[in-house]
Amino acid sequence: MTLLTIFLMALITFTTRYLFIHPRLPVCLGAKMAKLLSFSAPAVLTAIWVPIIFIQQGELNVSLNNPYLIAATFAVIAAAKSKSIYLTMFIGLITFVLSRYLLTV
Amino acid sequence: MALTKKKARLLMAKKGFLDMLPLNLAVLPWGILCGSLAIQRDFSALEAILMPLVVFAGSAQLVAIELIANNASLATILFTTFIISSRHFLYGLALRDKLKILPTKWRYGLGFLLTDELFALSSHSKSFVGQLRLIYAVVAGGSFYVFWLLWNVTGVIAGSYLPDLTHLGLDFAIAVTFIALVIPTIINLPILVTVIVAALLSVLFKLMQFELDLVAAALIAMYCGYLTDRFQHKNTKDDDNNTLSPSVKDST
Repeated sequence: MTLLTIFLMALITFTTRYLFIHPRLPVCLGAKMAKLLSFSAPAVLTAIWVPIIFIQQGELNVSLNNPYLIAATFAVIAAAKSKSIYLTMFIGLITFVLSRYLLTV
Repeated sequence: MALTKKKARLLMAKKGFLDMLPLNLAVLPWGILCGSLAIQRDFSALEAILMPLVVFAGSAQLVAIELIANNASLATILFTTFIISSRHFLYGLALRDKLKILPTKWRYGLGFLLTDELFALSSHSKSFVGQLRLIYAVVAGGSFYVFWLLWNVTGVIAGSYLPDLTHLGLDFAIAVTFIALVIPTIINLPILVTVIVAALLSVLFKLMQFELDLVAAALIAMYCGYLTDRFQHKNTKDDDNNTLSPSVKDST
């Protein structure tokens, strides 16, 4: 039963990725639509990471007791200044581990 | 010194691998979590490994494991998977014109590999154009697949020895990766508007426990970015007209 569930899930994840790149699908994108879609990467990726920072166990946490928020602040500054993915990840993870440790002591 | 074809291909493959490497490392905790959680929730090793092998989706895997363990109905599991995966429709649409013209083999392959991470590396206007950029994409996307599988298998093997990892804050690794990917792309006002709207709405919709939270927030944010862009163009056109009209008058 679990095996069947897993294969059906695979069918769904593949379909959501593949459907719109299938050539025979009768979809034609105009210039306006293409411009709109050019904003999809910043929009979707932001909608993934921001709730991780602000919502824990279903509740909004905007306070200095939130290690996610402290570390994300440093990471955003590092990303804006350096544009380096490694430096941003390094600074973000270090401040996350440190603030988590300091807040629980 | 001219590059031979073989050398150019190798260079592009290397670049694809290196560009994806930080993302491959960032999903290490997430992959181990998926693998070990499956084992802790009484999946067989085969089932736990089939998840990354054929489903190949982080958050959908994680949520489905909990649903299956709690004996949720098949319809619930599949519907939830669909909702979580529905953001990929946007990626397919955004890349449609570039990918639909590819030969079948490349199209199915890249379609399968089209994760958040590969899409994040595909924003260049010429991505997927020409053989070299295809090699770049396949190596980047393929290496992500291999690493995802590797971290999951590690979790499966270590599974019973590891404590419950779900409350360790491992999701921060994902957040910081996306911060590193998104923030440097904010190069103009429309993108800034997109990011701010997506940030506010995604939090709001999630708190409202709106099922399509992510996709709805992203769609509205994209439209706001689009409108900002239109507004800017309209203004610059008006400026052009204003500067043009006096000179026309002067000449008459």
